[in-house]
Amino acid sequence: MAGVHKVIERMLNLLAFLLTADRPVTAEEIRHTVAGYDREGDEAFRRMFERDKDLLRRLGVPLRLEATDAWEVEHGYVVPPDEYQLHDPGLDDEERAALWLAAQVVRLGGQPQGPGAIFKLGGAPLAATGEPLSADLGADVGDLGTAFAAVVERRTLAFTYRDRRRTLRPYGLVHRRGHWYLVGEEDGRDADVRAFRIDRAARLRAGDEAGAFRRPRGFDPAAAIPEAPWEAGGEDVEATVRFDADAAWWARRQLTRDDEVKVDGDGGLEVRFTVANPDGFIGWLLGFADRAELLGPPELRARLIARVRGEATP
Amino acid sequence: MTSARTATRLTRILAMLPWVIANPGATADEVCTRFGYDDRGELVEDLNMVFVCGLPGYGPGELMDAYLDEDEVVVDMADYFARSPRLSPAEALALLAAGMALLSAGHGPPALRSGVEKLQAALVPDAGDTLVVDLAEEPGLVGVLRDATAAGRVVRIAYTSLRTGHTTERDIEPWAVFSTLGNWYVTAHCRLAGGERAFRVDLIREATVTGDSFEPPATPPPPEIRYTPAPDDVHATIRLGARARWVAEYYPVEVVDDDGEHLTVVFRASDPAVAGRLLLRLGADAELVDGVEAEAALHELRGAILARYHGDH
Repeated sequence: MAGVHKVIERMLNLLAFLLTADRPVTAEEIRHTVAGYDREGDEAFRRMFERDKDLLRRLGVPLRLEATDAWEVEHGYVVPPDEYQLHDPGLDDEERAALWLAAQVVRLGGQPQGPGAIFKLGGAPLAATGEPLSADLGADVGDLGTAFAAVVERRTLAFTYRDRRRTLRPYGLVHRRGHWYLVGEEDGRDADVRAFRIDRAARLRAGDEAGAFRRPRGFDPAAAIPEAPWEAGGEDVEATVRFDADAAWWARRQLTRDDEVKVDGDGGLEVRFTVANPDGFIGWLLGFADRAELLGPPELRARLIARVRGEATP
Repeated sequence: MTSARTATRLTRILAMLPWVIANPGATADEVCTRFGYDDRGELVEDLNMVFVCGLPGYGPGELMDAYLDEDEVVVDMADYFARSPRLSPAEALALLAAGMALLSAGHGPPALRSGVEKLQAALVPDAGDTLVVDLAEEPGLVGVLRDATAAGRVVRIAYTSLRTGHTTERDIEPWAVFSTLGNWYVTAHCRLAGGERAFRVDLIREATVTGDSFEPPATPPPPEIRYTPAPDDVHATIRLGARARWVAEYYPVEVVDDDGEHLTVVFRASDPAVAGRLLLRLGADAELVDGVEAEAALHELRGAILARYHGDH
């Protein structure tokens, strides 16, 4: 218990000092000025200070390193008060309680959220949830947080995707059909707005400059997300599939409004699809095993057969 | 040493101080209820820590004032903590996404809608539509199952196995209805199987609430889909090409080798057909290195599908 008290007291002193310093302060100055550090040896101080910085950042405190003078010889730490402070949305108790309940029911990546965010917003009498409904939106909260911050602060975002390093101007973040997508345009390329799945993006790093780009006027990130797995991609193929009667009900539940459906006499379905992503489409169709048949076109049929045989496809 | 609990505790102090400063005369009970203190003693412990902290010099003129005066919480000399800390991006996203997800599924009181709107306006002032969250579309049966769960009623379902295509009728005692990774599930005690099962709601063809009731377990298992290894599980060693590396993040596999290009994983499943289906889907992007049962399952699946396309040879 005494250990925890010491940490919290040291952090309060450190934060109070940084918020009032009004200039960058070096680690050395912190060590000799802020109560709680003064009795530590070099190595113990270094480790303790690293942990403390880490804790501040986890709390959302904007802790930065800046040059102490124009010659940039020495660097010190800064917490600008206007960046530290919450931009208060002015929620009332009912709104805070509703958001808290929502965060208990809908989780990101398994862990329900702690009450810290609601405390920062002013606290509220919190009740436990008795709702027999819950949802998990998946994905690593760390990566999502990085991506969201880049969207909000309009910073470019570098990441590795399909073995290639890319830099994106991230315009929005969308959750659809169980996956998170980052929507934006690649930097330096005259490319269309594209959606990238966050769980396939690795080593996310936001750029240093805030406000680095402008979002297109009237931009709608959801429009960049495909409705069904076969609707993302650059091709345009008309395909016809027959679903057997015992799989028809399940196929029907997954069709989108645009698919044309014909019912056979025996309860089976014949459906016409517009396919933009043949590989995705075939992958989905294989989920029906032998209870569906791709009737045409022949090229697509050949592609499916090659895939089933394990032959390489382009 | 700096555990998550220390972080939460420090956050609470940094949020409680500004609220007390902005609401002079607040009582200890009010502060306890609002910031989740179990009792006065816990609040006093935090105030006592604040009381010995302040600015360098650390004399009476530099330390903060924080104490209980009868029933009233008093904080003074703490101007630098007069405003609450901002939300971290992860915190802001978690609150917004949760609120938007519930609203998209048609749930939540009006206060949730106004709360989400205010939060969005404060956090993303320059453009409204940067975040869009949809829960997986709710299949029609979710409502029926949720009501039955709340009322403790047994439900008779017709459930189709993805693997065999067979439909069975069974009585289930539903415990929780939830959505994860794009699908809706109901966890339940299945009277047919005599144990705990999770059913994908979109594979339930029909559901009828019966007149039977049940007593839910005191502590139902957490609503999640998890894979529990069993001794007679099937193992398959699979070599994944660049385009199939995502499998390692999606399935509970053990990575045994990574040469930069190919990733070799051990995949475990209670049913070899699961491994067979995965291999079929990956096609030439994956190679089965070891695993006779998976091999047999893949062979069977291939045979069945190719039989439908036999005219094309």
